[in-house]
Amino acid sequence: MKPTRAFNESLWAFHFNSGSCNGCEIEIVAAITPRYDPERFGIKLVGSPKHADLLIITGPVVKKMKDRLLRVYAQIPDPKVVMCVGTCGISGGVFYDSYNLEGPVDDVVPVDVYVPGCPPRPEAIIHGVVKALAKLERIEGVGQ
Amino acid sequence: MEIFSSLLSGSGAWNPLAWLLAFVVAAVIAYLIWARGERSYKKGTEQTAPFISGNKEPPKGDLHVRAGNLYWGYTDALKGYYERIVPLHSGDMNDYVLWYLGITALIMVIVVVFS
Repeated sequence: MKPTRAFNESLWAFHFNSGSCNGCEIEIVAAITPRYDPERFGIKLVGSPKHADLLIITGPVVKKMKDRLLRVYAQIPDPKVVMCVGTCGISGGVFYDSYNLEGPVDDVVPVDVYVPGCPPRPEAIIHGVVKALAKLERIEGVGQ
Repeated sequence: MEIFSSLLSGSGAWNPLAWLLAFVVAAVIAYLIWARGERSYKKGTEQTAPFISGNKEPPKGDLHVRAGNLYWGYTDALKGYYERIVPLHSGDMNDYVLWYLGITALIMVIVVVFS
C-alpha cells in the first residue's frame, strides 16, 4: 500500500468521539495493535487535529459535541478526509431521532468514507482508512 | 584560537564573536525547522488557534497571570490593614490634598509642642 506521488507522506489520523459508547473506540484500538500494525505503512493516530490528514469520527454527535466537532474539523489542515465509523455516526443507530442528537455525523460535517457496523471489525476500519487514503490521493492529485 | 578566548573568568571563556556565531547557527537551525512547517494553514481561522481538546479558546485576558496573583499571600496576610487603607484610596485629588494638609498641620503641632 505504497502512497502514490500525489500523496507522498504518511497518513495521520485524528480520532474524535462525538458521543460513542466506546464500542467503536475498542475496535479502532484493536486496529492499531501489532496484530494489524498499520503504522508500518505510516498510518497512525495523532493527538492533535493540526497534525492530521484524516478525521475518524465515532458516535452520533450529541448536542454537547457539535461545536467541538466543528472546531476540530476546522483545525485540520486542507486537504482532509473524514471517515465515519459505526452505525451511530452513520444514521444515529439506536439513538435515531433522539431529542439529544445533532447528528448523524454528515448533518454536521461532510463525510467521505462510511464504515458501517456496531461496532465494525478492525479489518473494516482498516479498509475504510485505505479508501480514505485513496480519496485523499485523488484530492491531492487534483490540487497538483 | 586567540580570538575565541579574549576574556577568561572563573566560569570560563567569553567572547562576543563566539556568541554571535552560536546565535547565527541557532537562528539557521530555527529557520530550517520553521521552513519545514505546514504552509497551508489559513490565518485568522480555527486552524491557527490552539487545540484545547475541541473546546473554545478563552479570551487572552483570562489566561494571563495578573500582578495581583503574584503577591496574593502578602495582601491576604495583611488583609486587616488593607481593608482600612483601600477605602481611603479614593483617587480624588481633593482628598489627598486634604490628607497632606492635615498631616502637615499635625506634624507642625507636634514640632511646636515638643520643641
